[in-house]
Amino acid sequence: MDYLGFMIGMLFGAALFLAGLANPDKIIGTLRLKDLHAMKTIAVFVIVGMVGFWFLDKAGVAHYSVKPANILAVLLGGAFLGVGFGLTGYCPGTGLACAAAGRLDALITVLGMFVGAALFIFIYPSIVVPIDGVWAMGKKTIPEVTGISAAAWVFGISVPLTVVLFVTAKFKKK
Amino acid sequence: MVSKALLPWWVGGLLLGLIQILAVVANSPLGVSTQFVVVDSKIIHNVSEDYAKEHSLISQEKYTKFGYGFWLDIGLVCGAFLAAVLSGSFRLSLTTKWWKVNYGSNLGRRFATGFVGGILILLGSRFAHGCTSGAFASGWAQLSLSALPFTITLFGFGMLTAKLAYKQSPEIERE
Repeated sequence: MDYLGFMIGMLFGAALFLAGLANPDKIIGTLRLKDLHAMKTIAVFVIVGMVGFWFLDKAGVAHYSVKPANILAVLLGGAFLGVGFGLTGYCPGTGLACAAAGRLDALITVLGMFVGAALFIFIYPSIVVPIDGVWAMGKKTIPEVTGISAAAWVFGISVPLTVVLFVTAKFKKK
Repeated sequence: MVSKALLPWWVGGLLLGLIQILAVVANSPLGVSTQFVVVDSKIIHNVSEDYAKEHSLISQEKYTKFGYGFWLDIGLVCGAFLAAVLSGSFRLSLTTKWWKVNYGSNLGRRFATGFVGGILILLGSRFAHGCTSGAFASGWAQLSLSALPFTITLFGFGMLTAKLAYKQSPEIERE
């Protein structure tokens, strides 16, 4: 057993639940632009992760796991996941968390995910590999491709986004 | 009525971001979906060792053992369960509020949609080399190039699908 992974997973699962992301009603509400709670939570999650990662990288303690930018496969995968996400309100992490929190429909979606994983294995050699080879740019980062520094990207994205989040939140209260 | 979340958006987001930071220092950025393939791979290795050994994906070492990522997913399940129980919000339920408003109490359709949705979710995640955790949230944290096209189709198709599938909105409690 990997205790470190287990502990971080415990924290992640609890946070997904408490933050309201492990709640399909909140996800569908956000995708329909009727309830922006989940969108704002995700935005803060990404901003803190981005800024945190940048500092950790500067300090030399960040572990990277950059996914390959094989464009066709990523576009297709995002589309499939998007359709499933929009139908159910679940993604892999929140599906597991919701099933654990007593949602039996999420348990069925998780079962579907195991079937999807098996299907992925079976079509991997014949279908996935060729698609993965189209517009395959490999494990690139945005700063590498653009030649613009990571700092410029991190703060150029996170500072305006943070301002927008807090300004719109203030206006709503009035 | 869809009630508000237990934590305000900025507290929940901050908490998730801090856990991301912890994960980046401890082992690697957060990710969930690979382990579904690892579990299936383990089963296939047991059922048909010959097929598995020849397979270009599941013969790889990463797909033959339960490591950090697997235990992270097990922890995720336990953490969500504990948070639900301790916050007094553990509840058995069969459907969602958005579903009920649009489709009534037809559970067969909800389950069928949920099952097919699950297949698409995992298939899509693995095509893209990651899901909403690994390719989106962790992708942006590292400024991965792949996060850009992934975000566009994930939310584009997500919003389009939700718009087509859920025309009526339930009442929503405001923060």
